[in-house]
Amino acid sequence: MQEKILHELLNIGEAMLTNGSEVNRVEDTLSRMGKACGASQMNVFVITSSIVVTMTFSDGRAVTQTRRILKPGGTDFRKLEDFNALSRRFCKEPMPAEELKAEIEKIQNAPGERGKFYLGSMLAAGGFAVFFGGNLADGVMAAVFAVLICLLQERLMPFCANRMVFNLLCAVVAGLGIGLTARLNPYVHMDKIMIGDIMLLIPGIAMTNAVRDVLVGDTISGIMRLVETILWAGALACGFMAAIWLIGG
Amino acid sequence: METAIQMGTAFVGTLGFGLLFHLRTRHMISAAVCGVFTWGVFLLTAHWVEGIFFPSLIASAFATLLAETMARIRKAPATLYLILGVVPLIPGSSLYYAMSYAVQKDWEKFREYGYQTMAYALGIALGMFLVWALYGMLGKALALTQEQTM
Repeated sequence: MQEKILHELLNIGEAMLTNGSEVNRVEDTLSRMGKACGASQMNVFVITSSIVVTMTFSDGRAVTQTRRILKPGGTDFRKLEDFNALSRRFCKEPMPAEELKAEIEKIQNAPGERGKFYLGSMLAAGGFAVFFGGNLADGVMAAVFAVLICLLQERLMPFCANRMVFNLLCAVVAGLGIGLTARLNPYVHMDKIMIGDIMLLIPGIAMTNAVRDVLVGDTISGIMRLVETILWAGALACGFMAAIWLIGG
Repeated sequence: METAIQMGTAFVGTLGFGLLFHLRTRHMISAAVCGVFTWGVFLLTAHWVEGIFFPSLIASAFATLLAETMARIRKAPATLYLILGVVPLIPGSSLYYAMSYAVQKDWEKFREYGYQTMAYALGIALGMFLVWALYGMLGKALALTQEQTM
């Protein structure tokens, strides 16, 4: 019985982590939820690639489970908000494992919104191309290439070994496209369009989170993520550099 | 004029990231406004202080305070307002110029822009951290005084 509920707690923890939650928030949430369903002591250890939880009950029994996190994290604020609300509800009145499982699955399987993904990418790339000093044509071109990046994210990402490989390939393809466009149309600026599209791929948020994790005291998580994001950003830079070099700009 | 364009595009860009990250529609406008305000604070601070590190630190500390406040008003996790709030501070531009000067083997300029990129990243993280540290201290101090008066 207790094993079952702990399994569901790990499911929530994993879901929060892979949808963009901070490490210390996951630890905090799991501790609270465990205490709410009767544990006298909760030992929770979370890093970006693993979760370890030991629940100790007042009769002396202890249950431990671990979870290896392999899926790289994205960011989904809707799911994050829902999991947050679910955990609050659970702390107020704990529910049986089956019910919790059903609730988690309901949140996890919420349909993705493809239109919003494309529109958001276009607005973000276009907006930031102009934000960093481009003209309107640069913004429009950045939005056009944002669609290409979205397509690559959907089609190419599943074939890539990891995010580093993907960033490299994506940067080369997008960089070549942007470079050729800028060659043919002197009215647009290659640098501004690339900057707009870099904003979509740059792990700026993950990098900030990493430095913050280190400062807050989650040193292992922070350093792991920092190394990861530096590699991603490096791959991105190498990809665009290769494209610029190939075009001869 | 330039400032107005930046404010407008910061709004559009932050809105775009909101959509990209599946933010609920009811938070969309207020989160984008957070991004605009953060950029405004950055520009104001940059007007008085040289460099990039200090303005981005102040702007990110402001974004953190704003996010905590918005989270309480709108009953949502603070992360969503915080992440979108600091989006305009992400150094996409200086990263690009750093690597483009690396291709041209202009190491002087490469160093300058590489330093800028790091200054932004460190400034953002430290700004957030400062507010949290103060927030935590204040919370503990308040809890202690409440205990003593009980």
